[in-house]
Amino acid sequence: MLTAAAVIGVGHFIAERQNYESSIERSFQTEMQARVEIAEGAGGKAARQTITREEAHRAELRNSISDDTRDTAILVGAGLIAGLIGALLLFTGLIATMRRPLEQLVDAAGRLAAGDRSTRVEVGGLSETATLGNAFNEMAAELELEASERDKLDRMKDEFVLTASHELRSPLTSVQGFAELLMMERDSLTQRQVETVEIILDNCRHLVRLLNDLLDLARSDAGRLTIRPRPTELGPLVEDVVRSMRAQTDGSEQSLTERIEPNLPLVVVEPDRIRQILVNLVTNAHEYSPERASIQVTARVADAGVEIDVSDNGPGIPPAQLEHIFERFVRGDAGLTQRVGGTGLGLAISKSLVELHGGAISVDSEVGRGSTFSVLLPVAPPGAVEEPAGSRAIAEGPR
Amino acid sequence: MTTVLIADDSETILLLMRTRLELAGYTVETAVDGQEVTERIDPSSTDGPDLLLLDAMMPRKSGIDALRELRAAGVETPALIVSAHQDPGDANAPTDLEISGYVTKPIDFDLLLGAVAELTAQAS
Repeated sequence: MLTAAAVIGVGHFIAERQNYESSIERSFQTEMQARVEIAEGAGGKAARQTITREEAHRAELRNSISDDTRDTAILVGAGLIAGLIGALLLFTGLIATMRRPLEQLVDAAGRLAAGDRSTRVEVGGLSETATLGNAFNEMAAELELEASERDKLDRMKDEFVLTASHELRSPLTSVQGFAELLMMERDSLTQRQVETVEIILDNCRHLVRLLNDLLDLARSDAGRLTIRPRPTELGPLVEDVVRSMRAQTDGSEQSLTERIEPNLPLVVVEPDRIRQILVNLVTNAHEYSPERASIQVTARVADAGVEIDVSDNGPGIPPAQLEHIFERFVRGDAGLTQRVGGTGLGLAISKSLVELHGGAISVDSEVGRGSTFSVLLPVAPPGAVEEPAGSRAIAEGPR
Repeated sequence: MTTVLIADDSETILLLMRTRLELAGYTVETAVDGQEVTERIDPSSTDGPDLLLLDAMMPRKSGIDALRELRAAGVETPALIVSAHQDPGDANAPTDLEISGYVTKPIDFDLLLGAVAELTAQAS
């Protein structure tokens, strides 16, 4: 408003100035006319009075216009200052109007990045911020739709794997069962027939392992991989795994030894799952190491729990592969070129299982020297007692 | 003579289990679903099978539903549930039923025959 006053002031000043100049001009003309009359001897007292009057009139005009100028200058100055303050206020207001929507956008972008795809912003403020807000909301809506479709596909995949691995079990039961029936009459079979049936049984076991692994992974993905941990003594468990694996390592003339630190504290685990992890690690060590290699399983107290190490002096794992070793369907070179019976899922499952226990799994390997896989498990609180197995499974298929 | 009643909707699995159990010296009866099991067993008779071997999932009536009906009618015959589930604690394992144990597929017959022997020895 003050700016408007300044504009009006300047306008007023210009109009006054024009008035003044034309008045002065008229006054000079009147005076000149009087002087001409005096010079021609025509003018008398009246002409001299006119000159005096016009001189006085111009002095008056000059006084009044300088007052006007000063007033106008003050008015213009005040107007300018007011204008600047106004502009400043306007600018601050503008920033304030932009600031809230922008801050909201920053917040919302953060939430969106963190995975909250239902995030939307309130559209408002200037047209630019409103456009930005609308664009953001559209983008978030698209992401949400994509995410929900991906989730749906993921669920379908999990369901499919769960169903498939269940449905495949019945025919597999028949194939394996009848092959076993044949083997019960091996005395009446030829050597070639026995070998044929052995191949069928071998592949059945491989299929079962694959199905179990796939099922575990699908469960893990669906958040349905559950454990029932209880205070457990690790020593006998490790001894049991080593004993059960000895037939295989003996077949390759590999040495398999265990070293269990005395007085290990109890760990809180589901024994069957720890057995599954250890069998997997020892099987890997056995399958990837050459004949006459040595494999050692140690259990000892570590900083944050009890650590089980499975070490071998096999070929080791190149750094590039080591990085991805716990990812699914990743297999060592030997697994791709030699006859290694793995599924490429064992370590991925072991990692899921160890983490489900609140533990950690890691690997240390050097090409040409061998590999060590370490599993760290949480210790039971002091005073905990070992609980006996509560499972009523009396016939568990081989894992 | 120890009698085992097996229920499974797969003819092949029935044949497999029947063969293995008969080879081990048991008398075997078969049913194709839970409905047939509940129709076959008379709760008032003491002459029924010594052991039930029921598939958890069958059309018409599942092994679990059949067993639930039998238990409600007072039948106390020991029962093993055969399940395609890898883990007996998984999914549909009811806790309200008297179940002697779970058998997972593919069936480990050494373990199964051991359990059958144990349960029928208790029964007789």
